[in-house]
Amino acid sequence: MSLSLATKFARRELRGGLRGFRLFLACLALGVAAIAAVGSVRAGIEAGLAREGAALLGGDAELELTYRFASDAELAWMTAQATAVSEVADFRSMAAVGDDRALTQVKAVDALYPLVGSVLLEPDIPLADALADQGNLPGAVMERALIDRLGITIGDPFALGTQSFILRAQILREPDSAGAGFALGPRTMVLRDSLEASGLLSPGTLFNSKYRLTLPEGTVITDLEAQAAQTFEGSGMRWRDARNGAPGVAQFVDRLGAFLILVGLSGLAVGGVGVSAAVRSYLSRKTEVIATLRALGADRATIFQTYFIQIGILSLLGVTLGLLLGAALPLAAAPLLEARLPIPTAFQIYPAPLIEAGLYGLLTAFIFTLWPLARTDRVRAATLFRDSWDGASRLPALPFILATGTAIAALVGLAGWFNGSWWLTLWTLGGIAGALLLLTLAAFLIRIAAHALSHRLRGRPRLRWAMAAIGGTGEGAGAVVLSLGLGLSVLAAVGQIDGNLRQAIAGNLPEIAPSYFFVDIQKDQIAGYTERLENDPAVTRIDSAPMLRGVVTRINDRPAREVAGDHWVVEGDRGVTYAARPGAQALITQGAWWPADYAGPPQISFAAEEAEEIGLELGDTLTINVLGRDITGTITNFQEVDFSTAGIGFILTMNPSALEGAPHTFISTVYSEPEAEAQILRDLATMYPNITAIRVKDALDRVADVLAGLAAATSYGAAATLLTGFLVLIGAAAAGADARTYEAAMLKTMGASRRMIAASFILRAALLGLAAGSVALLAGTLGGWAVSTFVMETDYTVIWPSALMIIAGGIIATVLAGLGFARRALQARPARVLRARE
Amino acid sequence: MTNRPTNLPTDPIFSLKDAALRLNGNAGPVDILHGITLEVAAGETIGLVGPSGSGKSSLLMVMGGLEQATGGTVLAMGQDLTAMDEDALARFRRDRMGIVFQSFHLIPTMTALENVATPLELAGHADAFERAAEALASVGLAARTSHYPAQMSGGEQQRVALARATAPRPAILLADEPTGNLDSANGEAIMDLLFELRDRHGATLVLVTHSDALAARCDRIITLRDGRVDSATRKDVVA
Repeated sequence: MSLSLATKFARRELRGGLRGFRLFLACLALGVAAIAAVGSVRAGIEAGLAREGAALLGGDAELELTYRFASDAELAWMTAQATAVSEVADFRSMAAVGDDRALTQVKAVDALYPLVGSVLLEPDIPLADALADQGNLPGAVMERALIDRLGITIGDPFALGTQSFILRAQILREPDSAGAGFALGPRTMVLRDSLEASGLLSPGTLFNSKYRLTLPEGTVITDLEAQAAQTFEGSGMRWRDARNGAPGVAQFVDRLGAFLILVGLSGLAVGGVGVSAAVRSYLSRKTEVIATLRALGADRATIFQTYFIQIGILSLLGVTLGLLLGAALPLAAAPLLEARLPIPTAFQIYPAPLIEAGLYGLLTAFIFTLWPLARTDRVRAATLFRDSWDGASRLPALPFILATGTAIAALVGLAGWFNGSWWLTLWTLGGIAGALLLLTLAAFLIRIAAHALSHRLRGRPRLRWAMAAIGGTGEGAGAVVLSLGLGLSVLAAVGQIDGNLRQAIAGNLPEIAPSYFFVDIQKDQIAGYTERLENDPAVTRIDSAPMLRGVVTRINDRPAREVAGDHWVVEGDRGVTYAARPGAQALITQGAWWPADYAGPPQISFAAEEAEEIGLELGDTLTINVLGRDITGTITNFQEVDFSTAGIGFILTMNPSALEGAPHTFISTVYSEPEAEAQILRDLATMYPNITAIRVKDALDRVADVLAGLAAATSYGAAATLLTGFLVLIGAAAAGADARTYEAAMLKTMGASRRMIAASFILRAALLGLAAGSVALLAGTLGGWAVSTFVMETDYTVIWPSALMIIAGGIIATVLAGLGFARRALQARPARVLRARE
Repeated sequence: MTNRPTNLPTDPIFSLKDAALRLNGNAGPVDILHGITLEVAAGETIGLVGPSGSGKSSLLMVMGGLEQATGGTVLAMGQDLTAMDEDALARFRRDRMGIVFQSFHLIPTMTALENVATPLELAGHADAFERAAEALASVGLAARTSHYPAQMSGGEQQRVALARATAPRPAILLADEPTGNLDSANGEAIMDLLFELRDRHGATLVLVTHSDALAARCDRIITLRDGRVDSATRKDVVA
């Protein structure tokens, strides 16, 4: 009975229109729209990746091997399963034009490439024609960045190793580029047969071979994957198929999307503050109606339901508006996004992200409106006779607290379930909750401090009025500090994390990092290579080590994954080396190194930290598959391996006799004066054209570029939070506009000039903004410190330019919002305002 | 002219014994009512008079269960209002009382008809709207049923409030200076209407007023001063 009646009352109340609910709707809609838009873009990319899975992969399935081509038996197995098998080799090398050299990622293809999709070239010629021999030299195609870097044009020659090529075209689109993963250099594509004379694919060189299969109709892909795993067991073969053609990209998009949605939730939380303020303000206007209903005999349940239904309907409206906006934005921006993203997309309306955003919106609305709604309980009929509205903030009744707790748990549960990472969800939402708590406490303290200060500022009327206003209940100090503070906190945290990470990459590492990594140094080249560098006074240090790749297949004769789970060491192949003596910087933590002339059964030195994570002990045996051969050794010592210096670090070192017979090359790092770097590269490239040089600074710049992109994406998320915060701020300013008009009228009556009153208004806004910015900086710095210290494991220093911008932003935002509403207050004639009050 | 019972029943409709009201204000507790002892018979009309701040409206609130007495007992139709919680009081008002306020207190988002129907709907009457329409017709507003409060004059709004208070045919009518916000012509018309409706339904009426003339229309006049009953005068004695 009470519910149907409440529904009727709610409907009647809503006939009054949406006046007073614009802020409510805007806050909710904006928060939901941001999450829905991020989710829709993510879904669009994922659908694009799924749709183009075969093209991204270059076939229905792919088997990838490291540093070797498939054996005849393995090829025979593939040929038996597939209607077509295409072989591609992928490796880093140097493209050379005269003395000039640039790092490139070479793709050596066969005549069948690509099995799916097509390579788009400029000029628009078929790939086969572009790569074919013309005259004496084979053809090649390159990406624009490399063509520009080398300063060549179509028809010019260049060399890879000892083989010359003619550049025939520029690569506009490579169907399987998104599946290739992170590359340090732009692409060059040639025929594998053309490389025979280059010396680049000799045994031991660092290359990956990929076999793309076209499968007959009706192949059960999961069965085939299982068969392949059995056939290639212990060979380090990696399987991919068209169900997930670009797993790296898909995972990256998924993770980034999940993180941005969590950042979006912080926007929704800010919106929640605005929603809560709007409901409080609405209910305080409705006090008389509520009291009248109580006088007429309505019980508390009927009244609560009446307003709960109203707010519920409005929440649905706000969420719906947000979903419409969130679904429409990616569609509107589709042409722009498609042009900028290097991966296939399929932007359309996807229900799943909209449902996710909608649920977040409704739960947030519930969480932030329940307590204000619970206050209807405290409106008594006597309010009609005297102001007996108990405005004091008391905790609501237990059922409301329990319902709020349940809704928060549901929100956290949903967020964790939707994004799949409980760790990330709990940290992010915990951070938001912590920031909200800190801001609530700060708002309370600011009010108390301002109230106390206002009594001590005699003779400074502008400041005293400002302090009294901040310290009073009408100015909405709480809403301002909470809404603006949370947005600024997220932005401050992003700024601090980004700044520290950049500092770690750009500032700290080059001092200790090498100038170059050289890879693919053949055994017979290492002596000459070392001699050239040792005789160079500009070179301060050279570290060289044999480099093989191996897969840890068994631990103590049990399958490695059974023992180590999904630890990264047993996932795929790892760098393996051998050494007669421990390195100069090596620190043996346990056990003893083998004698320099040791030639007995294989012994292993393992990285101490990783060994502890896996649970390895001295005396444990490991079986490593190196180039198809199983080598079993015993761990005889553990050593500290520091992977953070960008120097050479191997997880696993064996005694020389165990590995030196296997085909392999050397990897080397060179530490030199910056001005000598170019000459070193020229000399070594001329002496050994097959050697690939990776400039560490360039590689770090690439990583920094990727991180900058991430920081930018996160900043956009934080900006949406800030925009919502600004809306709440405007709402708070609008809610206080009448009080300010009255205050201005009173002050004018007593002789205050408009300039004086305006100064006080600006002062109070600036002080509140300063307070919000400072608290946000504290919260953001704490967040930045926590992420830098515990997640990134980098040193932390406060990035002051970003910090000061946050505080300045806080002041500017509050002053702008405050000034927008001050004009009317300053212009109103006192007599009219005061008469209207009577 | 009236159908006021000549023989008042022995069971009083209100029985207040040492009723007190203390409110906690910003400056500390304030005693509003001191030991009010009072009995009101069923069908009786009571005029509560006294200077501003004497406690008239507070006494009316205590009698209506809108404010809970902080001392003594307040029995209404045999039920102890001081022992009821807010919801029980609301239900009691819904079933037994009609209240008319000085400021009308119509719900601005509801039409006149909906305002009048609200207490009937709260009481679960299926014919709430038919009865509300009748009540509006009885106060001369049959043509204004679909109008919102903001579209009506003060006198019309108070007539809607009267219809709302009397439509459920309550045993008790409480009126707090119902003409306080009206001009004299409108005020007089409203009072005529109030007494006419009370007579029609035979309800007990407790009326707070500043007007001696209005109070004189009641069976008994109770004068309050400083939260205490200063004097009580029966009409026949006055006459």
